[in-house]
Amino acid sequence: MTHPEELLSGYVDGTLPNEERAVVDAHLAGCAICREEVELAGEALMALEALEERPAPFGVTGPVMAEAGRRFERRGAVWQRVQWGAGLAAAAALVLVVALNLSGGSPETLRAANPNAEAGAEGPAASMAAEDARPPKLERQRAVSYDDAGVRSLALGAEDFARKDDAAVETDAGDVEFAAQDERGAAIECLRTSSAPLDDPRDTLVRLIEAQYQGTPAYFAVFLESPGGNQPADSAIVWVVATRDCRNLHFASLPL
Amino acid sequence: MLVERHERRVFNLALRMTGREEDARDATQDAFLTALRKLSSFRGEAAFTTWMHRVTVNACYDLLRKRQRNPLLDRGDDLLPLEPPPAPDHADDTSLSIDVQRALRRVPPDFRVVMVLHDVQDLPQDEVAAILGIPVGTVKSRLHRGRVALAKALHEERERPGTPGPSEGTMPR
Repeated sequence: MTHPEELLSGYVDGTLPNEERAVVDAHLAGCAICREEVELAGEALMALEALEERPAPFGVTGPVMAEAGRRFERRGAVWQRVQWGAGLAAAAALVLVVALNLSGGSPETLRAANPNAEAGAEGPAASMAAEDARPPKLERQRAVSYDDAGVRSLALGAEDFARKDDAAVETDAGDVEFAAQDERGAAIECLRTSSAPLDDPRDTLVRLIEAQYQGTPAYFAVFLESPGGNQPADSAIVWVVATRDCRNLHFASLPL
Repeated sequence: MLVERHERRVFNLALRMTGREEDARDATQDAFLTALRKLSSFRGEAAFTTWMHRVTVNACYDLLRKRQRNPLLDRGDDLLPLEPPPAPDHADDTSLSIDVQRALRRVPPDFRVVMVLHDVQDLPQDEVAAILGIPVGTVKSRLHRGRVALAKALHEERERPGTPGPSEGTMPR
């Protein structure tokens, strides 16, 4: 006998529509296992609902607030200046060209370049597989070190980049090197570990780079994020994780 | 202030996931440090909440993994109390809820997280699915299987010898 497992939580919650409730009632009449489970699930639900919310311990986010203060002080100095690490001319040129070219394309062109933005109804498993197989390739810029301003340039250039294919990227940059497919897979895996929004239907990955973030070897993932409901992207996101342990090094979001 | 508004929610999610106040503190701080970078430019409040929950769940998984790798750090032996006994100002946190907390820790994290988000934090199923990046159908079945596992663990907790019932130790004078 197949048990209507997906319906039983809603049955216990009392949120099932009438027809589905009738299906479950009919099943329960002949299934002692499910009857027992429904009873147990009801007990568990009552116990969970009785858990009281605790106040957060005093000062728990103190270190975070201190860090926020430091960032606020730094931001004026750092975000307005473009500071590149040593010997980065080629990559810097690429990013700056892309940033300067940012001139608000129509939502239609953007959507055409990112068919996945329409795939909101797809299950994560499907989009996960698609994410692993489709562009962008992993650009290798291991000698390049980005700072906050560099990351911001990546965000600024995201919209423009989304309209290009790899061939155009290669032509524009002249000497862009792409990593092999398995290395790209490792980068995707690492980003997924750090909870980058790879499987969120609102986010479209437009660029993937292996470089350094302030001297630490890192993967950079550039996303365009839609507010949902099939609307065009309204912000660019850059997610930076360490290649060594996949820890999140930086995160930046920029309204388009 | 975003941090203050979300602090209590994040802390409670972490507390129910990790089962220990000290770990919940660490996970809360990790989650906020990761989120900090987004605060200045984040616009969509709903999407932020989803993302904040995702970051918190992730921080909890990290802590749970760390504990698994290094058993010496894991004082979470089921025979030891998960949290210090309720202090007077936590008098409402009865031994009943400590039982539930102990039982929760015995449910695998993938099921536990769905129950905590849906049944404790009252988030709708589709929001839980978005936070965890899994289909709503999976949320529904994990919710049911998690609840069944929790109830069984709860029965075992309450039958364990030496575990005081809710009213013991409060003899009227």
